[in-house]
Amino acid sequence: MSNDNGVVLSMENITKTFPGVVALDNVSIDLNKGEVLGILGENGAGKSTLIKILAGNYIKDSGEIFVDGQKFEIKGPAEAVASGIRVIYQELNTINNLTVAENIFIGEQLVKGPFKVVDWKAMTKRSLELLDILNVKLDPNAVLGDLTVSEKQIVEIAKAISKEAKILVMDEPTAALSEEETQSLFKIIRTLKSKGVSIIYISHRLKEIFEITDRVTVLRDGKKVGTLKTVDTNENGLVEMMVGRDIKDMYPKREVKIGDIVMEVKNLKADGFKDISFKLKRGEILGIFGLLGSGRTSLVKALFGANRIKAGEMSVNGKRIFVKSPGIAKDGKIGLVPLDRKTEGLALIMGVKENITLANIGDLGKSFLISKIQERKKALKWVDEIGIKTPSVDQEVNSLSGGNQQKVVLAKWLESGSQIIILNEPTRGIDVGAKIEIYKLMQDLCERGSSIIMISSELMEIMSIADRIVVMSKGRFTGEYTRKEASEEKLLHSACL
Amino acid sequence: MAEIKAAEVLGRKKSRLNNTATLFIILVAMFGVFSYVGRPFFFSKLNIIPMLNNLSFIGIIAAVLTMVMVSGEIDFSVGGNIGLTACLVALLLSKGLPGWLVVIIALSGGLLMGAFNGMLVTVIGVNSIIATIGTMFIWRGIGYTLSNGESMLAINPVIDFIGRGFIFKVIPFPIVLLVIIFVVTYVTMSHSKWGRKIYAIGANPLASYLSGINVKKVKFVSFLLCGATAALGGLILTSLSAVGMPQHGQGLELVIVSSIILGGTALGGGRGQILGTLAGVLILSILYNFLTIMNVYYFYIQIVQGSVLILVVSTYEIRQAMARRRI
Repeated sequence: MSNDNGVVLSMENITKTFPGVVALDNVSIDLNKGEVLGILGENGAGKSTLIKILAGNYIKDSGEIFVDGQKFEIKGPAEAVASGIRVIYQELNTINNLTVAENIFIGEQLVKGPFKVVDWKAMTKRSLELLDILNVKLDPNAVLGDLTVSEKQIVEIAKAISKEAKILVMDEPTAALSEEETQSLFKIIRTLKSKGVSIIYISHRLKEIFEITDRVTVLRDGKKVGTLKTVDTNENGLVEMMVGRDIKDMYPKREVKIGDIVMEVKNLKADGFKDISFKLKRGEILGIFGLLGSGRTSLVKALFGANRIKAGEMSVNGKRIFVKSPGIAKDGKIGLVPLDRKTEGLALIMGVKENITLANIGDLGKSFLISKIQERKKALKWVDEIGIKTPSVDQEVNSLSGGNQQKVVLAKWLESGSQIIILNEPTRGIDVGAKIEIYKLMQDLCERGSSIIMISSELMEIMSIADRIVVMSKGRFTGEYTRKEASEEKLLHSACL
Repeated sequence: MAEIKAAEVLGRKKSRLNNTATLFIILVAMFGVFSYVGRPFFFSKLNIIPMLNNLSFIGIIAAVLTMVMVSGEIDFSVGGNIGLTACLVALLLSKGLPGWLVVIIALSGGLLMGAFNGMLVTVIGVNSIIATIGTMFIWRGIGYTLSNGESMLAINPVIDFIGRGFIFKVIPFPIVLLVIIFVVTYVTMSHSKWGRKIYAIGANPLASYLSGINVKKVKFVSFLLCGATAALGGLILTSLSAVGMPQHGQGLELVIVSSIILGGTALGGGRGQILGTLAGVLILSILYNFLTIMNVYYFYIQIVQGSVLILVVSTYEIRQAMARRRI
């Protein structure tokens, strides 16, 4: 079967359910030899679940997988690797205190002699050969910790092809790369392709999909929408497939009256960024765009008192504020919806009501005791007002969907009366329907006079929802655009300055 | 819609039997069986009063240590604290200090020991297991130093009353202390704002911090209270035995932590009930007492105590795993 242009991999009618969600519903894909297949979808569309099934990390509920035409039951990661499937995840699995060669051969060091001592020479030599195949110059004895993100990624690729790799899966490989680095990654992908490796390329950056893929499969809410030849489609067509509706419905933008300045930041400096100045107005949504490692999360934490400010000043409503701790930021009516709601935003084993009132335990009654009726009323009010779908306010938030969990985090700051709400990747890991609700909610808040700072790496989202976008790169602001001025090219260009 | 909401506001009781209720059923059954098998001595004033006195200081410390453990930390230094306090009390009495002053000094000493643990954990950031194993040795070492390794008589009207006094001529004072501490810690943990913060911190310290809760302050105060309560336990034990010696409370930290875990408190924090701890303390202490009066060899008693702990905690794990599978 493995003739040229034959089908190397086909996944047929794959279904996978998790408690309360159908993550994949009868999804089929096929991959030809020497082809780059793009998989496109919003957060929560099922891309990672599909990949994890292929890599043997998840066991599918039903469906079949064929590799080289042969039925293949993947029971664990080892079997996936043995059949030539390699996955490079967004969070790289390299080990920082080992060298390039050690990382490439981790777990399967080359050995020599009767005592199986590690053959360093052979490993160095073979590493050089592999790096040569990829057309990159890298010292096999360099320690990983000293390399850039893109170089670490190259090491991962070298590791992936160190044993025969038929299928290489790359999960959002460019999330942390500059334009130049992206181009060199594409060069490597083309080299591998010419050697007959089949590649699954996952991204939500449309520009890249057009540049590198031969065909593209679009997923939405766990279902396959379709597979197209890349040359036969265009951006708008793909976006509509991804979101399942007109772009205007996906990103409902209302014009909210923008008022006076509520927050002013001057020459702020902390670990991860410096010289940051901006003004935020009442009713405004300020977008901050930046690649991974641009310092955007450090900035957000500093604004909220969780990252020590070393220089510069901040004022809210004309008054200087020294945010030494999240408690002070909270009292200054600043709220933070953090990047990872499960580890930073919620007490997962506690109920909806406990989480909604988490930042305002002191307000639950006049004495030192908690008024449980007041607590319940407060929680019910927000559940009702912003539409949190939960069987009751006693429900552990652990069992809610991502979108509803995010609303619980937001409700916490609404309960707190926050005037400035900072949202770090507000729609990460939630489904399309919930996303639209979050966008609407953000604008409801603005209409009521709050202001929002939104950090996002989703270009479509930030360009559609933010009134103004500043771009961050290497810890500085490198560009500022109004919604009308902004374009994918301009933002990405500034993000790589 | 409005009616549904009224029901929601009042809240609903959970129907399924929880771990704490199960423990109390086990406890009652155990007590019944022991009274029968161990008749007539087990259920007599001669046995019950000393048994309750002996478990009073274990229970008092366990209640407050539960707060520390729910917040995600632990304090292994409580046994050492008892030893130091016992020696300090005996030494001060031998110098002729009045009883009430000795009590104040002993409790202040407990606060200081708690503050030291709290500072190590919250200010310096030492893991509380390591920090309090360290201070466990230090406290006991200081106890040996103060007493020169010897037992000292500790007799004084005030001190005598703490362990051996009666309220209304019938209720032993340690039991009164035990009840007060359990009521206070129960209300704190289940109904107060402070208790809510402790649970939140145990469930997710980072999210609590990012919600404006002063995590370090809450943990520090828990250690502070734990130190003071351990010193109170030391006072009771000194009074009960009428001597102060550095060996007092040796190994007790493990009995106390075992009782708490038996009561359903998770080592990682976030979960745990004061009533569960009460049940845990009663079960382990009653079991120990019963086996002792049945003349079971001490070596075997230890085996039984260890086995009960492992058995109960294994049951929790199995129940949890089954609950997860049900989802």
